[in-house]
Amino acid sequence: MANNHSDHHQIQLQASPFLPSSGVKTASVAAAALGGLALIVGIFKFQNQVWPAFLLAFFYFSCLAIGGLFFSAIHFVTKAGWSSSVRRIGESFTAFIPFMLVGGLILVFGLKTLYPWADAERMASDALLNVKKAYLNYPFFLIRLFGFGLLMWFFRHQIVGRSLTQDKTGDDQLTHSAVPWSIAFLFAFSLGFSLFSVDLLMALLPHWYSTIWGVYCFSGLIQATFAAMILFAFALVNSGAVKGYINIEHIHDLAKYLKGFTVFWAYIAFSQFMLIWYANIPEETEFFLLRSQNGWLGISMALLIFRFIIPFLILLPRGVKRSEGTLKLVCWGVLVMQFLDLYWLIYPNFNDNSVQFGVIEVLVFAGVAGVFMLSVFKFLEKNSPVAIKDPRMHEALNHHVNY
Amino acid sequence: MAKYQSGIAGIWLEEDKILEAARKCQSLGFKKFDTITPYPVHGMEEAMEIKRSNIPYVTFVAGLMGCLSGLLLTWWTSAVSWPINVGGKPMFSLPAFIPVIFELTILFAALLSVAALFYLCGLPKINPPLIDPDLTSHKFALFIPKGEVGYDENKITELFKQLGAAEVKKVAEY
Repeated sequence: MANNHSDHHQIQLQASPFLPSSGVKTASVAAAALGGLALIVGIFKFQNQVWPAFLLAFFYFSCLAIGGLFFSAIHFVTKAGWSSSVRRIGESFTAFIPFMLVGGLILVFGLKTLYPWADAERMASDALLNVKKAYLNYPFFLIRLFGFGLLMWFFRHQIVGRSLTQDKTGDDQLTHSAVPWSIAFLFAFSLGFSLFSVDLLMALLPHWYSTIWGVYCFSGLIQATFAAMILFAFALVNSGAVKGYINIEHIHDLAKYLKGFTVFWAYIAFSQFMLIWYANIPEETEFFLLRSQNGWLGISMALLIFRFIIPFLILLPRGVKRSEGTLKLVCWGVLVMQFLDLYWLIYPNFNDNSVQFGVIEVLVFAGVAGVFMLSVFKFLEKNSPVAIKDPRMHEALNHHVNY
Repeated sequence: MAKYQSGIAGIWLEEDKILEAARKCQSLGFKKFDTITPYPVHGMEEAMEIKRSNIPYVTFVAGLMGCLSGLLLTWWTSAVSWPINVGGKPMFSLPAFIPVIFELTILFAALLSVAALFYLCGLPKINPPLIDPDLTSHKFALFIPKGEVGYDENKITELFKQLGAAEVKKVAEY
């Protein structure tokens, strides 16, 4: 009971390092190794296939890493109590942020294959592209790419660093001093991530532009982050690493977030589509034309159905948000759809607009996924999977979701 | 007009005591009792074993109705009754109608949910009977109507006193 203090003394509280099963760990190592190999072979032999694949995987896991930091920052700023027991899960995703810089370094070699602006010949022959030279050029692009990575690393140090220090010292002041840093992060994130998504994804089709692009990419980021957090929350509880701290009430609230941002994704996606469809200006419709022919229409429809309609309808009843099996299924579905969404954003610009999907996409994605999983596992082995000394932990332990 | 009942009410000054009282009454098999608190007390639903409200189902069905009405409205006005060519687009252009359909979905769902809430709660109550004016600020009451299973005034008074009630009073109408 929420307000009966004698009750929660009986709950056994435990937060011990999360040790993934050896199978999962071996799989992650194998995936990372295979992906690394595929990337190296691809760079020498299949440039045109490997770079879009790497861009997709790099963007996918960068989104999850920053999404985790965003979750933590939002809950520091709002001084949320209920989330203090699940906040660390988001923080564990940020372990991938240093690898964003490594990924950025690798990506530099693929810029010429990926981006028309990076090709001096195209730049010279294309008048419309040439006027964007002041923005789309090597030095400024690299400054933005690495500037964003370093900025995220810096904020990770400030926000997650405080959270981890608190585990050892128990100093309440750290929670309060994380607030201004979180506010600063939210500004840096909204500007930085918008540019990040414009630079990496919108610049693939440099004549075209959409002013809602950053928000669209954010809506995918946040929906996928909640799905991944729910899956990790179940993994932490089921492995026995966390006892008492995380219960169905926290899962229920995370699932509410998931449902809310499922609608948000549809709202933003439709806002982008409807204005372009209505105005029907050739330079704007290009984007959707590429995604309505040569088999892409099916994938566009699949996104509408499986990224919005189905998860939305499934998540409506209260019982589903509190049932492990169905909720996990929806979360996996959302994560697959985030992949499909990025595939839909990137691939129509390549392979003469034909739908192509092969071993190299799978291997490169598995490789980056392996690195992401290993970095998160390492974080959860080294640190407590719950922010045990959070001054608002009592609120999380007494969390009770009314009907 | 809502029907009023007479019965007996206990008044408590602490939140945890009213919860305990509610739990006790529930376990004794009382079915028709009610609690009156100045704010939503966490755990009260579980203590009284109140079933979940049916309003979400009303909302869902109303939303579907709104969605369909929006579809019919836009289709009938734009493609049947008064077709106007806008930018060479088909008369029935779903993307253009989605905002209207969405708004009507929300409008129907919201208005009918509120209507259902009023109906289920018997609102509005004009000049409702009062057990104690302080129930809106710092007191908690548990009311057992005369029609309750195994209603026995003396036993209930005794029970309320055991549960630490600050006051037990007969209520002519609630």
